[in-house]
Amino acid sequence: MAQLILKNVFKRYDGQKKKMFQKKKENDFAVKDVSYECKDGEFIGILGPSGCGKSTSLRMMAGLEDITAGEMYIGDVLINDLQPKDRNIGLAFEDYALYPPLTVYENLAFNMRAKKKSEQEIKKAIDYVAPLMKIDDLLNMKPPALSGGQKQRVNIARAIVRRPGLLLLDEPLSHLDGKMRQQLRQEIKRMHHEIKCTTIIVTHDQMEAMSLADRIIIMKDGEIQQIGTPLEVYDDPANEFVAGFIGEPPMNLMSSTIEKQGQKFMFTFEGSLLQVEVPRRYNKIVKDQMKVTLGVRPVDVLIAKEEVSSTPVPVAVYENLGDERRISVRVGEMLLSMTTPDDVYYEAGQKVQLIFHEERTHLFDPETGERIRV
Amino acid sequence: MAQIELENITKQFGDVKALNNVNLTVRDNEFFVLFGPAGAGKTTLLKTIAGAEFPEKGLVRVGGEIVNHVESKDRNVSMVFENYALYPNLSVFDNIASPMRSRLYKKDEEFIKTAVDKVTKMMKINHLLERKPSQLSNGQRQRVALGRCLVRTPNVFLMDEPLAHLDAKLRHFMRGELKEMQTSINSTTIYVTHDYMEAMSLADRIAVLNHGEIIQIGTAQEMYYTPCNEFVARLFGEPEINILEGKMYIEADDIYFKVLNQDVLLHPAQDTIEALRDAGTNSIHIGMRGNDMQFAFEKPGDEWMEGTVYANEPIGNKVIMTVLIADKKISLTCPNDTVAEMDQKVYVKFNMINAIYFNGETKEFITRNNMSRYTAKKEG
Repeated sequence: MAQLILKNVFKRYDGQKKKMFQKKKENDFAVKDVSYECKDGEFIGILGPSGCGKSTSLRMMAGLEDITAGEMYIGDVLINDLQPKDRNIGLAFEDYALYPPLTVYENLAFNMRAKKKSEQEIKKAIDYVAPLMKIDDLLNMKPPALSGGQKQRVNIARAIVRRPGLLLLDEPLSHLDGKMRQQLRQEIKRMHHEIKCTTIIVTHDQMEAMSLADRIIIMKDGEIQQIGTPLEVYDDPANEFVAGFIGEPPMNLMSSTIEKQGQKFMFTFEGSLLQVEVPRRYNKIVKDQMKVTLGVRPVDVLIAKEEVSSTPVPVAVYENLGDERRISVRVGEMLLSMTTPDDVYYEAGQKVQLIFHEERTHLFDPETGERIRV
Repeated sequence: MAQIELENITKQFGDVKALNNVNLTVRDNEFFVLFGPAGAGKTTLLKTIAGAEFPEKGLVRVGGEIVNHVESKDRNVSMVFENYALYPNLSVFDNIASPMRSRLYKKDEEFIKTAVDKVTKMMKINHLLERKPSQLSNGQRQRVALGRCLVRTPNVFLMDEPLAHLDAKLRHFMRGELKEMQTSINSTTIYVTHDYMEAMSLADRIAVLNHGEIIQIGTAQEMYYTPCNEFVARLFGEPEINILEGKMYIEADDIYFKVLNQDVLLHPAQDTIEALRDAGTNSIHIGMRGNDMQFAFEKPGDEWMEGTVYANEPIGNKVIMTVLIADKKISLTCPNDTVAEMDQKVYVKFNMINAIYFNGETKEFITRNNMSRYTAKKEG
């Protein structure tokens, strides 16, 4: 049993104390009042831009950094002051840090030999993990002869060979190129499915977090923005930051002033003639001249087939990308994009009328970035 | 007028042939993309046109004139690099004006002001003229760098991965900006990229390079729908196209395939049959894109193949499901709310109407359905 529990965890680096007097106090903590619970066997992704505190969180779990305040538990053991070696964790970083003069087998065996396990026991453990990470035919090779992808497989195999209670992965795929990354992503997921070890992966790549994790913790400036399943954070973002961070192509986020026209509310945009009707479910909470940030994903912007109340605007860009078509219109300084898998063609300059998907059009407070909900 | 012709270009770095007998004609005013994996020779080819590399063999013609021995500065080309290379101490205005103040192209200040004005309006950076590069966002810097390139009207624009180091989100928008601007660029443009979406979006025509050789030249549509071999097919589209190794059976009144050791018979579309009969081999590889398959968890009929879910990866607006059929991984694009358990049984149906056929021995393109639609432009 190895669930991981964080209770009001803070982290402040020593160097940061000095800056306290110069900078705003809010910026002082690398990790700020973070609480969550990872269930036994769960795969959690910690996602955020650089400097958001995701790696610091992981390093505290591993025991590589002190915890400034708060409590951290593995199972029901408080680990704040527990030595890293006693935490029963497996670690794999972006850099592989394999011992180059040792074979893959010896690399995997290294820690267990240090712990004086019997050779028989070691062999059994390696025979179990090697096929999981697809390195069974590399065991006699030495790291310099391996490709980047193979090295990372060995690295991860080494982290799981002792069957840790908690597996920590820090950007394990970011060194690898596209194809290799996709392959290893699938194998990590399958490995987790097989050994069902509580796993935390830290990444800045939203697609990686989405495809691997059962739940994603999105962080920014040391604080948690949202915790949810991949579909939850995609469909129901808590704020503007999450909305913009998750999804490719990115969500259209545009400043808009809502105008009341007769019985209808319309989104209007500075520097543009475009007006699009506000989904009716918002009618109760919007007001004339209200300023909002409108968020709508490119797949949820549609071109009207029949006459609607939005103003016709010219197509600025039409792109045929094979798998999908992308169409953009100019709205002030921004491009508002839509994507469709349908085999359609629009010429630049051709007038179209847009509609926004009724259920999947989001409003955010332009000041705080928080979601405005009905 | 600047048609660019490359004739039998060979360029060697030590023992490595960076370019091997490259022949290419870029038409006047064309937006031409050089596309391929890292190390394919794209940038070397661009530098050859710029005059920054000199080929051992072959001729470079710009506007009909041989320029092999013309120095870079005298070729009247304008180049944008991946890193913007802006002058940090100069304002946006001065950065953009800098090529017109160089000794070679010196223009009077009045002229410069008009030109900068025009290009910054087009790039929507005319409100930033006083700022220094450090006060700009990455996207704005990119536009300034492009503006500096576009402010002159050279014979040829050369762009080396100008969007490569932007993150995916910014790249999406900048690509749109660049595409919108294209109509106002009235010069031949050669653009290097390793991103297939950029290539498809921007190009009038694309040349696919690999190991210093040109593999295929054509429009984006041709690359995607009628790739000349499996290598090109794999470069365009996400997830990568599935290539199924199959055996073709030709009978008097029937023609069908078996793939992946399955008993299901796959029948090709009517207008592909003739070309398949003439293929000269029974070993046929069938290209299937992620969108061209259906899946179900209960077996709907005999023409569906049974497999197991290897991975099910939600990536936002869609789910990529990898299915294992006879130990071969097949990637399907599924709706974004698709839920599947690992190793669960799943049934897959191939929509043969969209199949692309390759010769199993040579890996070269044989045919596909509706050929004329994708190649009509060339003939017209």
